[in-house]
Parts: sequence; structure tokens; C-alpha cells
Amino acid sequence: MKCIRQRNMGLAVVLIACILFLNGCWGKREVEDLAPLIGIGFDLGQKPGTYLITEQFSIPAKGGETGADIQERTISVEASSGREAFEKISKIFYRTPFMGSLEVIVIGEDLAKAGFNEILDFGQRFSEFRRTMYLVLVKGKARDILNVKLRSEQLPAMAIMNMVERGSEVSSTPIVRLGHYFTILGSKSTAPILPMIETIQQGEGGVRYKVEGDETQEIQIQGAGVFRKDRFVDSLTDEETKGYMWLENQVKGRLINTVGIDEGKLNFAGQVMKSTTKYKVSDNDGTIGLEYQIRTSIAVDEVLGLKEQLSEQEWLNLMKATEKKFAKAIEKECQLALQKEKMLGLDFLGIGRHIEQKDSAYWKTIKDQWEQKIVDFPVSLDVQVTIHNSGMSSSSATTN
Amino acid sequence: MERISPHQFMTLGAAVLMGTTFLPVASIVTGFGGRDGWMSVMSGFALGVPYGLMVISLMEQYPHKNLLRISEILFGKWIGKIIGVLYIFITVYFGGLLLGQAGNIYQASIMPLTPISVFYLGGMLLVFYIVRSGIEVFARFSEVVFPVIVIALVLNVTLAIPRIEQGELMPILSEGLKPLFFGTLKVMPFPMEYILFLAGLLTFLPIGKQELGQLKNGVWRAVFLVGILNTLVALIQILVFGPTESIRLVYGLLVLGKMVEVSRTVSGIESLFMGVWLGALVIKVSAFFFTAIWGLETVFSLKGLKWYLAVGIIFLGIAFKFKTGPSLIKEIELVDNYLILPFASIWILTLWGFARWKKGAGV
Repeated sequence: MKCIRQRNMGLAVVLIACILFLNGCWGKREVEDLAPLIGIGFDLGQKPGTYLITEQFSIPAKGGETGADIQERTISVEASSGREAFEKISKIFYRTPFMGSLEVIVIGEDLAKAGFNEILDFGQRFSEFRRTMYLVLVKGKARDILNVKLRSEQLPAMAIMNMVERGSEVSSTPIVRLGHYFTILGSKSTAPILPMIETIQQGEGGVRYKVEGDETQEIQIQGAGVFRKDRFVDSLTDEETKGYMWLENQVKGRLINTVGIDEGKLNFAGQVMKSTTKYKVSDNDGTIGLEYQIRTSIAVDEVLGLKEQLSEQEWLNLMKATEKKFAKAIEKECQLALQKEKMLGLDFLGIGRHIEQKDSAYWKTIKDQWEQKIVDFPVSLDVQVTIHNSGMSSSSATTN
Repeated sequence: MERISPHQFMTLGAAVLMGTTFLPVASIVTGFGGRDGWMSVMSGFALGVPYGLMVISLMEQYPHKNLLRISEILFGKWIGKIIGVLYIFITVYFGGLLLGQAGNIYQASIMPLTPISVFYLGGMLLVFYIVRSGIEVFARFSEVVFPVIVIALVLNVTLAIPRIEQGELMPILSEGLKPLFFGTLKVMPFPMEYILFLAGLLTFLPIGKQELGQLKNGVWRAVFLVGILNTLVALIQILVFGPTESIRLVYGLLVLGKMVEVSRTVSGIESLFMGVWLGALVIKVSAFFFTAIWGLETVFSLKGLKWYLAVGIIFLGIAFKFKTGPSLIKEIELVDNYLILPFASIWILTLWGFARWKKGAGV
């Protein structure tokens, strides 16, 4: 009897505990009261020691045709810390900013040159943020990019996120998440790199589009910025960035052509089906070097300048020659990236880490002078391409 | 007298040994061994095997007695009592700190606005209910909860695989074996916490010849299962964060849980993992509550509800004293390294050696 009473008492205690836990959390926030933060931009503030922080929220549109209709609300405030910015914005907003939905951190060029790690501390310390957020650098001000009125009417932050995520389809810019950036910073010898976002005006770089109203614009992701720790040093061109992608084994589905590779009038364009980059530390008579081995499979999608009908054997021979031509195109991009690395004296390609991984004893002897060594450290390339297929035709529609 | 089966002994032992060790383990071992740190996890946990077997062997020699009672028999009443007081002090203090850790983890990670007292009081109520229900209920609770903890850990590790950074594990052993030795030293307190629990648990274990063999197997299994799981946890964190970040992150596994995303459909599931980790915390705090109660009963013959309440209040008092995360983590580390490890390792070894000598000498 006593045992049953004790048990009942215990049960009552547990039920009381459940009441404590199940009535909702302290500080609970209804989803309708939240303003999901999608993008945040950091620029240098006007006052020393301050930042211009731009926050882009996505708010469900009232009376929207579908539940997915959203309104954009972008606010910039000058603050000395991330928390101060949120305080200022909370005073303006009728909704509670929710940071767990943040997808993109946009770093303005001026702040990137001054260094931005301090303002990132909030992003990696406060528990609502995730290390999977994307980090991008913009040409110009982050505020301007986040306030661009896109022709697609998408939120700029969402557009940037989609561009970065779709980046693997064309593999021409790196995908950098906050966690990856911190891991690279931790490696010490490797210089961080961030993809670059810029607006493209009507007619700029040969891109033309219909301008609707005065303000609509397009943005694009192209090139990358190289950093010494957290300070922006120089930017990589589109080709140099593509070279980085090959050497970093990040190519998943490049679109590539051979135009301008040599004097030949016959050119090809294709899509990378598969690519792997490996590296090995070589020792040539006591000279230590690094050899990249790139193995790529390409599907030929376009043949340009083919003027005559080829026999089956001739077509086979042409495809063999095409492999070499594509290999040259890849090699050219890689060489450009390597030249930039040597010119900057910054190891954004992570060559130092590769040496450390393969020959840690040798790395220990050079790691303290690594930045000086980069300039003349021997790096060689071995690029081999195989043609996966040549599309649906064995000749060209332009042949006689 | 309550009894638990050899299978319950294995799962209960594994659950107590595991506790929340998976939360700090990567940061600890990487701090010494860098990217090789994961290798020192298993060697640190392996210490639990010889010590666990020593405890079982003492139980074989002195059936139905816990190690505090055996200490009184072998070393004399007063030395035995001094050991007992130390045992009670360490287990009460450490149990209170672990309760504090429960509040710290939840407030820092998923429920920052909930008053910390809710975690302490809620956790304490659960612990109190388990402890009052007895060791059999505790063992059954562990049998249910421990597999869930294991599944959650494996899921967390597996789902984090897409986040692995290229080449973070290499080079292997570039700094030699010496850093691993220091990493092992820092892991050693974890099995010693388990040994302290085992020291009091002896009176509830079966002592038949066949069961003794099963209990010894149980020690092996518990240690290796928990050692392997913790090795995996340390390994995935080094692979995802790299060594520098693994050291810096206070609760790397929680951060890893936040990084889990399955094709943009499943994300933000860290709260589910956190719910499971609560089970692990409750088991560990309950284990130390039990050891404190057993210590009071053995050394001072203090029994009954009021002593349970007294221990509970002291646990809460300690938890409330260390409300700030960094000081709490520092204190847990200090107790682990400078109290639990030296106390348990010297006490058990001396006791076992003395018992062997007495047996050999026929005293």
C-alpha cells in the first residue's frame, strides 16, 4: 500500500515536471511574429569602429496569391556590433528578427579590405546562426547589392543564395560556407577565398537585358577575392577562379570551350561530366615540387568551324585531338591561377597544406618561410581529358 | 535487496560511462593531439578495462560489499572512513556540476530565454524520481535510453559526412606519439567516473560464477562500445571543423547537429538531438546521485528520504553556484583531472593490490 502511494507521489512529481516543460518555452515566439532574416551585409561604418549593417528580411506577403509570396524588408543601420544592429532594428520592426533562417553573409569591399573577422564573431557564437551560411564578397557596398531591385523580383539575398548553390552546375566559382571559411583560417598557411558578387548594368560585359523601370538590375557571381587572413588583397579574374576550381578538385560540371587556345580554326565546347584532381609531392634530384594530376571526362556539345564531312575514322581522330585541346584549355586556366598565387605570394590554392599532407617532415622545414617560398615553388600539371561522347551528331550542320 | 542482471550491468555501465563525454571529448583530445587527437580517445577509455576488472575481482573476493566497505575491512575503519568522505565529496560535487552543465548546454544552444533554474529543477526532479525508484528502475531506464543515445550519435555523425572538409585528417602522426599521450591523460578521467559508480554498484550485482564472467565481459563491451563511439565523434569533428576549430568549439557536437541538412528538407533537427542528450545527462547525474547516497549509507549509515533531499539540494546549490558556462567547464575539468583521476586510480589500485597481497599471504 505504502509502495503504491509512493509511486503515485512520484508520478505526480513527474507530471508536475511535465507541466513545467510542456507549457511552451520561455520566450516562445509565434511564427507570425517573426521576421526571418535571409541575408546580412557588412560594410564599413562612417564613424571609426562602426559597421554599416544591412539586414534583409523576408516577410510573408499579406493577401499574396500563394503562401510563398513574400515581401522584402531591408534595413541598414550603423552599429559597432552585430547585437547593437539587432537592437536598433528591433526598435524599428514590429516583428522579432529571427536569425536562424540566415542564408547569406555579404561582405562589402571596403570592409573586406579593412578586415571583417570581428563582425563575424556574432555569426559563429550566437546559437541561432548556422555554420552552413554562405559567405560572399561584393564589388562595392554590401548595402547596395542587398538593395538592388532585381528584374526577377527575387530578394537579392535569395538570388545570391540560389546563385551560390547552383554554382556547382557550372563550377566556376567556389562555394564558401561560414564553417569552411573558419576551417581555412585555422589552417594558417592557406589564404581564404570568397566568391564575388557584382551588379551587371545593361550592356556591361556584352550582357544585354530589358530594363523595366529605372532601377531594375541583374547581379552575377563571377571571380573571387583572395584574403590575407580576413583582409581582402586582390581579386581573381573569371579564368583564374576557374583555374582555382580545377586545382581544388571542386569541378562538378563545368561548361568549357577551346576558343583561343591555339591557332586552329576548329573549336569545341562541351560539358564536364566528371573530374578529379589529385596531387603528389615529387622529388626531382632533391628539388621538392608538387604535381597536380587532373583527369576529366567531357561531353562535346558544340563543334565550331568544321567545314567538311568526316569519315568515321577521321571523326575518331578529331575527337582524339579534341582531348588535347580541352586539356590545353584546362591547363591554361590552372596556369593563370598558379601565376596569380605566385604574384600575390598568398597560398589560396592550399599548396602548403598539400605538402604538409604528403610530406609533413619537409613541410616543417619550410613552413615558416612559406610565403617567400610560394614564388618559386615548383608546381607542375598533368592534365588528361577523355571525350565522354560527342553528342547526337558525328559531323556538323555547317559541313558541305 | 535489489539486483540487476549482467545485461543491465553492461548497458547501465555503458550509459554511465558515456554520460555526456561525447560533448567535450573532441575539443579535449584535439587540444593536445591536433588532427591526430581522435587516436587518443580509445586509449584513454581503455583504462576502464583493467580498473573495471579490478573492481569485479574485489567483488568476487568480498561479495555483497561495496568498495567503501571493503576499504574499511582492508585499511581499517578510519582510513576507510576518510576514503568514504572523499568519495562522497567528489561524487556530490561532480554530480552538482553535471547538473549545472545540463542548464548551461540547453541555455547556450537552443533555449536561451528559459530561466536556468527550470533546467536545474526539471532535471533534478527527473533524477530524484529515478533515484528514489531504485537501481533496477535506473537500469531499465538506461536499457531504454542508451540505445536511443547511440542511434542519435550515429545519425549525427553520419548526417554530418557531407560537411567533411577535404584532407583535414592528414598528415597522420606528423607530431609523433607524444601529443597522443597527453590527450590520453585527459580522457582517462572519463572511465574513472564510471569506476566510481561501479565502486558503489557492486552490492547490486549477481555473484554466481557464470555471472561473474558475464560481468567481466560487460566491462569490456561497455568500455569498447563507448570508446569507439567517442572516437567517431572526435573524428567527425576533426574532419568537419579541422583541428583549430575543433579545439575552439565548446560543444562541437551541438554545432555539428545544427549543420545537418538533408536536401534542404530536413534541417534544424539539433533540437531532437538535444532531447536525446538530455537522457544522457539525466543518466550521468543520476549515477552520481546514487554514488552519493551509497556513500552516505556506507560511511555514516544515513538513510531515508531526508538524506535524498539533502543531496538533491546540495546538487542544486552547486549547479546554481556555477551558472556561467566557462567557469563551470573549467571546474568540471579541474575535478576530473585533479580529483577523480588521482583519487580513483590510486584508491582502486591500492585496494586491489592490498587485497591480492592479503589473499596471497593468507592474512
